[in-house]
Amino acid sequence: MANGPLRDVRILDLTHVWAGPLATRILADLGAQVLKVEAPMSRGPRTYPGKPIAGFVGGHGGEEPYNKNAAFVKLQRNKKSIGLDLKSDQGRTVFLDLVEVADVVIENFSARAMSALDLDYTVLQKRNPRIIHVAMPGFGLSGPYKDWVAFGPTVEPMSGLTHVMGYSCAEPRSTAMALPDPIAAAHSVCAVLTALRNRDATGKGSLVEMSLHESAVSANGAWLVDHQLGAELTRLGNAHPSMVPHGIYRCVGEDQWVAIACRDDADWIAMCGCINTLDDELAVHERRKKRVEIDRQITRWTSVRDHNDVESLLQQKCVPVGHVRRTPDMVADKQVQARGFFVPLDQGTPMPGNPIKMDGISNQDWTPCPPLGNNNREVLSSWLDMSDEEIETLYEQQVVFDRPPN
Amino acid sequence: MDKIVEIGGYAAGYCGRLFAQSGHDVVRVDTGERDPAYVSREALKAFLDGGKQIIETSNAALIRRLVEEADVIILDADCADSIDNWNLDEWPSAVKIAITPFGRTGPHRNWQATSSTLLAMGGFTFLMGDADREPLTLPGHFVDFQSGAFAYSAAQACRHACEPNTIDISKLEVVMALSQFTTVMWHCANIVRSRHGNDFWSVVPTNMFECKDGWVYINIVPGFWDPFVAFLELPELVLDERFITNARRMHHREALHEITRNVLIGLTRSEIQLRAVECRIPLGSILTFDEVLDDEHLSRRRMWEERILENGKRVKLPRLPWVIHESSPSTDLV
Repeated sequence: MANGPLRDVRILDLTHVWAGPLATRILADLGAQVLKVEAPMSRGPRTYPGKPIAGFVGGHGGEEPYNKNAAFVKLQRNKKSIGLDLKSDQGRTVFLDLVEVADVVIENFSARAMSALDLDYTVLQKRNPRIIHVAMPGFGLSGPYKDWVAFGPTVEPMSGLTHVMGYSCAEPRSTAMALPDPIAAAHSVCAVLTALRNRDATGKGSLVEMSLHESAVSANGAWLVDHQLGAELTRLGNAHPSMVPHGIYRCVGEDQWVAIACRDDADWIAMCGCINTLDDELAVHERRKKRVEIDRQITRWTSVRDHNDVESLLQQKCVPVGHVRRTPDMVADKQVQARGFFVPLDQGTPMPGNPIKMDGISNQDWTPCPPLGNNNREVLSSWLDMSDEEIETLYEQQVVFDRPPN
Repeated sequence: MDKIVEIGGYAAGYCGRLFAQSGHDVVRVDTGERDPAYVSREALKAFLDGGKQIIETSNAALIRRLVEEADVIILDADCADSIDNWNLDEWPSAVKIAITPFGRTGPHRNWQATSSTLLAMGGFTFLMGDADREPLTLPGHFVDFQSGAFAYSAAQACRHACEPNTIDISKLEVVMALSQFTTVMWHCANIVRSRHGNDFWSVVPTNMFECKDGWVYINIVPGFWDPFVAFLELPELVLDERFITNARRMHHREALHEITRNVLIGLTRSEIQLRAVECRIPLGSILTFDEVLDDEHLSRRRMWEERILENGKRVKLPRLPWVIHESSPSTDLV
């Protein structure tokens, strides 16, 4: 469990897939006590039919493959896990007991799921008026689309991003990375903190709606305003409306590239000092007219050079440049290594760390993803003061569990 | 409510926007130093600076007076030395945030960067675009705005705990922290994730398809296969051995894409969306900015705040990405 400024905050985490678990991982990194409340099949079946999308931590599933799914494990550090069947009366009762001693409930179910479980905000609030319920449905809890099925990749084009992303007007491209998910995750953390600060001031809890759709639209706000002001925005490939040159340029080697951006004349002049075919007297409006030719000359220069050489040479001249890193390059990056960004949790697998660095937070006390139901006894005993006999009864009734059903 | 002073680039601007829209007093010290943006200065000012007090100055004494009164300082600079030149560590404010491309320590702390170079170094760019062409960068200010969101959360966490602190945020690390399963896929499955245009690749079909009047994006994770077959109105596909599992659909991806294309090309976006809603499959239309601004759902959820700019132009601005209700929302919205 991480230390940090949120160490007094208890969070009941009902989230799944990416946006929700990433949000609670960030909160846990800030020290919050995050209790992952998991359904019997939340991690999949007891035996796996094949390999999960990103493999198993440690390379194989072993006897508990459901606890080893790497894409899942990556998002669960510093959390505790309780296996609790919310669909049973007894499980629902236990959950409401937990609500009574918690600060935040966060979920990214569909808009109707919490009501179907009879666990919507009205119910939670009755049990604990100070509770903050964060709901992250795809399209919010109201409005014409509230029951539409939403995933990051299908929300992305509805946000306006795809209107400006692609090689050309005729070639729209998606990020194919479900970009609305990390956007919603980071903003959900902002929302939790805003609600907590409000509660600090008023003593009252609240319901926080965090729509995947709206967070993506909001992130595109500057474009939406510019469009209303008459700007003609379109797909520019890797070009930039103001910076020239600005692109991704081929280097020596298969599929090796560098990104270069000239913010101003100083960058341009510095770059011309490296690429002597470029004219350092061209002002930005002239560079804009000669964009294609400039890109051609840069490619001629980069395409016979190693990407690392291009990066270090241009950085020495203070020109923004970065080679297009593949995964192994990311992890090996000298800068992030020096700052200890990747943390070897979960059988030595380096996990992306916390970009917030401050006194009182250290990855030295981080804990890896807990096995399913790993903290059942500890939490029921310490949070709810249950006796061993009461806990044993819950196990016998299969209200709590620590592995998926057969 | 806290007093916030914001200095520097777009990440600070976005962090300050979140504070301002959450009801805090925000002063932006505008030193005139911001990199070129993806949009006009006017648009960016309207989006980022609404609700803030703007003071245009580089006067060190005045800035010192402002920061002395602030609870939170947000300083966004081009490198670590620039942060040090501001003497941030000596300022008396309770919470001080330094946002830089690479953080305040490490061998590259003074390297220069923009959004596109950080996306390249952070592993995003390699995954975007077509396999046989140059990778695509992500246009816009994702890196800055997400860094601003992390800065906001860190500052609010410290304020919640009533603890002073100095916070160091690296934009590169923000990008890497928000990566999907890229690094674990490499370490645990020995696979370097690659790019495939609009195709998500490991879940089929997840791709963009052209239709009668534009494009739609479909994301059929395995649990949605049967509803997807109903959506296509091709029930025989349920029994088609080529498509019976996701692994087989991956193997016969081209055939399935062809079938999907043939159905969708004869339909409009609204017809397709209607079918998707009826069959409950995840699907989204590619919308223009006008369509986003006119979207009925967003309007009914009061997504927009109308504002008249200094030049008299009226614009719709998006509200905060979240809504906080103090009571059950049934009567608040719609």
